[in-house]
Amino acid sequence: MFPSLLRAYSPMKMRCCFQRSICSASSSLVPVQLPSPMETHFWYVLPDQVKSVSLLNQYMGLLSPIEKENVLSMPGHQLQKRALLARALVRTTIARYQINGHVDPRSLKFKKNIHGKPEVVWQSEDGWCQPHLHFNISHSSSMIACGVTSNSRIGIDVEEKQRKIKNNVLAFARRYFSLHEMEYLSSISDSEVQHQEFIKLWTLKEAYVKALGKGFSAAPFKTFTVQVKTDSKRSFVLAEDLVFEASEIMVESLNDPKSLTSSWQFALLELAGSHYAAICMEKDKSIKVGMKVPVRLTAWKTIPFVEDECVSGTDAVMPIGGLIKL
Amino acid sequence: MAAAAGSSVSMRVRPCLYANRISSLKSFSLPNQRSFLSFRVRPVPTRLRVSCAAKPETVEKVCAIVKKQLALSPETVVTGESKFLALGADSLDTVEIVMGLEEEFDISVEEESAQSIATVQDAADLIEKLVEKKSA
Repeated sequence: MFPSLLRAYSPMKMRCCFQRSICSASSSLVPVQLPSPMETHFWYVLPDQVKSVSLLNQYMGLLSPIEKENVLSMPGHQLQKRALLARALVRTTIARYQINGHVDPRSLKFKKNIHGKPEVVWQSEDGWCQPHLHFNISHSSSMIACGVTSNSRIGIDVEEKQRKIKNNVLAFARRYFSLHEMEYLSSISDSEVQHQEFIKLWTLKEAYVKALGKGFSAAPFKTFTVQVKTDSKRSFVLAEDLVFEASEIMVESLNDPKSLTSSWQFALLELAGSHYAAICMEKDKSIKVGMKVPVRLTAWKTIPFVEDECVSGTDAVMPIGGLIKL
Repeated sequence: MAAAAGSSVSMRVRPCLYANRISSLKSFSLPNQRSFLSFRVRPVPTRLRVSCAAKPETVEKVCAIVKKQLALSPETVVTGESKFLALGADSLDTVEIVMGLEEEFDISVEEESAQSIATVQDAADLIEKLVEKKSA
């Protein structure tokens, strides 16, 4: 889809694209630098690619007793595996950032904020150093993803493109989406396209609510509109980076028009040809209102302890919405 | 009242198991076991008489809708205590389940109430409350 643009890649980007770290199962995780402001790191694992029983046992060994219990209480092997991979992905991903020296994924502690959003509990000796690493996870039946930022709230959501909706899409939208969004979906005559746009909207809305971190009731879906303006669709090379401007995605609160919805930035991707992924992150405070700054994205497909493949800039990660820098 | 409730419970054959306070009085062994025996053996908690727990049929219907939405295998045990998330439901599934319940019971669930539903029992209790309000 973007073959001509791939040629415009600078050598720096190429290095990232083809970097593959293949480690033996017993080796440690490849450490990664914290994301910079306005940068998101996106890690995902495909459960179908994780088959080794010994590897799954290794992941199980990383979990806390409560997490283990939760995993084992899921009905059926597939659901257990999914729950296990989700916890393993979160623990191994955060451990890579090696804040305060080497971090054992097992030692990480998590809590939920007052609204139920999971957070890392950082334990430091002097109590002063509070790393500003934020994360959010999402899973569909065939993909588990974890987004990481520094100093910026983040929410992500992944959904299978072909995910079946039991109810009629428009009835669903009428019931749960805002009027504007429902009208947008109604205007689409092709049912397949309508279905795809529905899934995209859902992921964007979910990502926003998860980024807010205040629970669903703080921002019921009907009370805000996500608008995707597709009049600008271009990509260009900015310095050494490739910037995709697929569309402008904005959120507007219907109850409280003055709320700082302009402080949120979205990115919408098509992943591995099979999933839509939405990322919502808080704009850096230094960015002036109205300034358009792209979300810098680095994405890895991973099998923790086995293989990390940087996929941003390959066909596996296609920007389809928002202003994204790869 | 307790005896009448007991006999109606023991006569039914339940397609889906549920851990319901009323049903816990009935033993799962023989369907033709006489109901009053279980009442003699076990004391009836007084709270049952003012029970706000949903009827078993409601819980059953919710179980069925949940199983269908999540495409669970027939052997999967879904009870009143089952948590949606623990059955593998994500947020889209939960919303679809609520829509399915609204259709089945001809009710309308507020978004805030929908989000507070964590288990099958929660859903069944909410449904009965809304159905009652409707007919009031």
